[in-house]
Amino acid sequence: MKLSTKLTLFITSSKLVVVLLFLLALPFLIKQIESRYTTYTLKQQKKKVLSIIQKNGLDYYFQGDDTYGSYTMLKEEFVALLPVADKFKMDTIADSKRLIENDTLDYKVLSYTFKQGNKNYLLEIGKTTERSDQYNKPLQRFALYILLALIVITILIDLTFIRIIIRPLSRIIKTKLLNSKFPFKSEQKRIITSTTDFKYLDESLINLMNQINDAFYKEREFTSNASHELMTPISVLQSKMENLLAEENLDEKSSIAIVEMMKTVSRLKNITSSLLLISRIENDQYIKKENVNLFMLLSEITDEIGHRLEEKHLQIHLNVSQESILKNVNRDLIFQLFFNLIHNAIKFNRERGSITIEDGKSNSGAYEIRISDTGIGIPPADLSLIFDRFKKTNLNEDVGFGLGLAIVKSIAVYHNLKIEVYSEINKGSTFKIS
Amino acid sequence: MKVLIVEDEKTLAFEMEAFLKKSFYVCDIAHSVKSANENLELNQYDFILIDLSLPDGDGLEILKNAKMSHPNASYIIITARSNLKDRVTGLDLGADDYLPKPFYLLELQSRMQAISRRKFGITEELLSIGQFKVDLPKRFVLFEEQVIELSRKEFDLLSYLLLHKGRVLTRVQLSEHIWGTFVNDDFDSNYIDAHIKNIRKKLNAWAETEWLETVRGVGYRVKKS
Repeated sequence: MKLSTKLTLFITSSKLVVVLLFLLALPFLIKQIESRYTTYTLKQQKKKVLSIIQKNGLDYYFQGDDTYGSYTMLKEEFVALLPVADKFKMDTIADSKRLIENDTLDYKVLSYTFKQGNKNYLLEIGKTTERSDQYNKPLQRFALYILLALIVITILIDLTFIRIIIRPLSRIIKTKLLNSKFPFKSEQKRIITSTTDFKYLDESLINLMNQINDAFYKEREFTSNASHELMTPISVLQSKMENLLAEENLDEKSSIAIVEMMKTVSRLKNITSSLLLISRIENDQYIKKENVNLFMLLSEITDEIGHRLEEKHLQIHLNVSQESILKNVNRDLIFQLFFNLIHNAIKFNRERGSITIEDGKSNSGAYEIRISDTGIGIPPADLSLIFDRFKKTNLNEDVGFGLGLAIVKSIAVYHNLKIEVYSEINKGSTFKIS
Repeated sequence: MKVLIVEDEKTLAFEMEAFLKKSFYVCDIAHSVKSANENLELNQYDFILIDLSLPDGDGLEILKNAKMSHPNASYIIITARSNLKDRVTGLDLGADDYLPKPFYLLELQSRMQAISRRKFGITEELLSIGQFKVDLPKRFVLFEEQVIELSRKEFDLLSYLLLHKGRVLTRVQLSEHIWGTFVNDDFDSNYIDAHIKNIRKKLNAWAETEWLETVRGVGYRVKKS
């Protein structure tokens, strides 16, 4: 899951939990508010009543009676005024049930005693508490809507903000990990960000890339230097032997010995120049500007290698379109690539086997060239190793020194070609180039 | 023919000299840019073979200087560096050929012969061998008036042997000439035998080919007539 998705999910759920808690707590809150408000109005009303009594006397209410009582139509509120015993004192606000005209209702009642002209009176003002429950449900629903709307708005804001904050990270991933090809560019651009964590990550990645590059270039340089340095001594050996062989009075035994030595030196030379070739390809020392007709190229190779086909009585089927042109390649390298592959197809083939070379569209629609043989095949465990330098997977036969496919691989990489191998033991192998 | 060998690896320079002497070239050796320039001031040369990496400088400098004092000489660059840039600069500066190390002395000699042939034109268009005549530039073999078809590789092989008449050429030398600097994964020169067999078969249909000898265990030779 992406980091931004995770963050959004987390924020959303935490917000939902908070809202839910709030909604559950809402009736209680409303009750609290209501009760405070009721207390407040009761007190206000008490003040009002007392000030009226002060101004107009008790008779304003009593009008001849010695008690007074009044309630509103729906019995939501009531006021009662009655004389009580001298010693009786009260100043409370409390919930209590009252019976008014056969209805028992819950009231919050303010009871207050006061003296007026030697007499003690009790003033009671009541307000029903029942109606507050009616509000709860709609209020809760209303609050839910508003809060949901608010959540949506805040999530949108969060999302944009998260995206802005995380943007450097995705840029680091894109430029440093996804889109960077090995060997990396030497001057890696730093991602502009004010987040120290990202800065640190970016810096560490750049450091790592530089280290890998250094190691890679050193190895490359070593291969190139070592091969170069080997060339001169090999030259010396080779020319000494040539001169020896040209001696007039050389007996047959010595000549044969010298020829054998020359073969060994030639082998050494081939290894060294193979390494040099790979190192030159890796150092971009070839120009890729030629257009090559594939059919002509392959015909040339099969022509050159024809005697080997005859030796093993192999059939070669060349089903390649005569119009196929490989564009912007280096002809020598492409020649080498196909030569090595066909050469292998012959070397590892059985007597009277066959080799098929064909081109066409692959399953994914890309152009590809397939070279199949009917040879000994490659064990699955070795498939990943065959392109490595000096890896010889089949030790039963004289297989050379193991650089042929390494060269193929580096030429393919140099031309951005993909190369795949499919193989079945004792049935043959197919190399796909696309 | 006078040759100046500029090569700091002394053993290699001596071997080159020894080999070329047998073909009647007269050689001077220089091991540094300085001694090469001295030699160039004192003598005239037909061939100047230059190694690029020298202890006191770059062989390309010698090439630049020598081109002015010896405009008629032929230049072959010999080097282990052999990257594309050096090759192009060398040829741009007027080198006639470029030979990457390590090379066979035989190959060096035939490059020199090829340059000579280009320069002076071949006096004898047709080389005679046994009852056959070989046209090197036009690449065909004649028996009386009859053209004998040889494949490209077969002709390459035959002409190389002819040009080094009297010398035994090993299979390795022959295959390297035919395949050039191509890097081949394994060493196997059976195909040289196969080609020779074919050449003999094609020519024997018309006349004897005892002049094309097999030297047991070593290689092949065209007998000096």
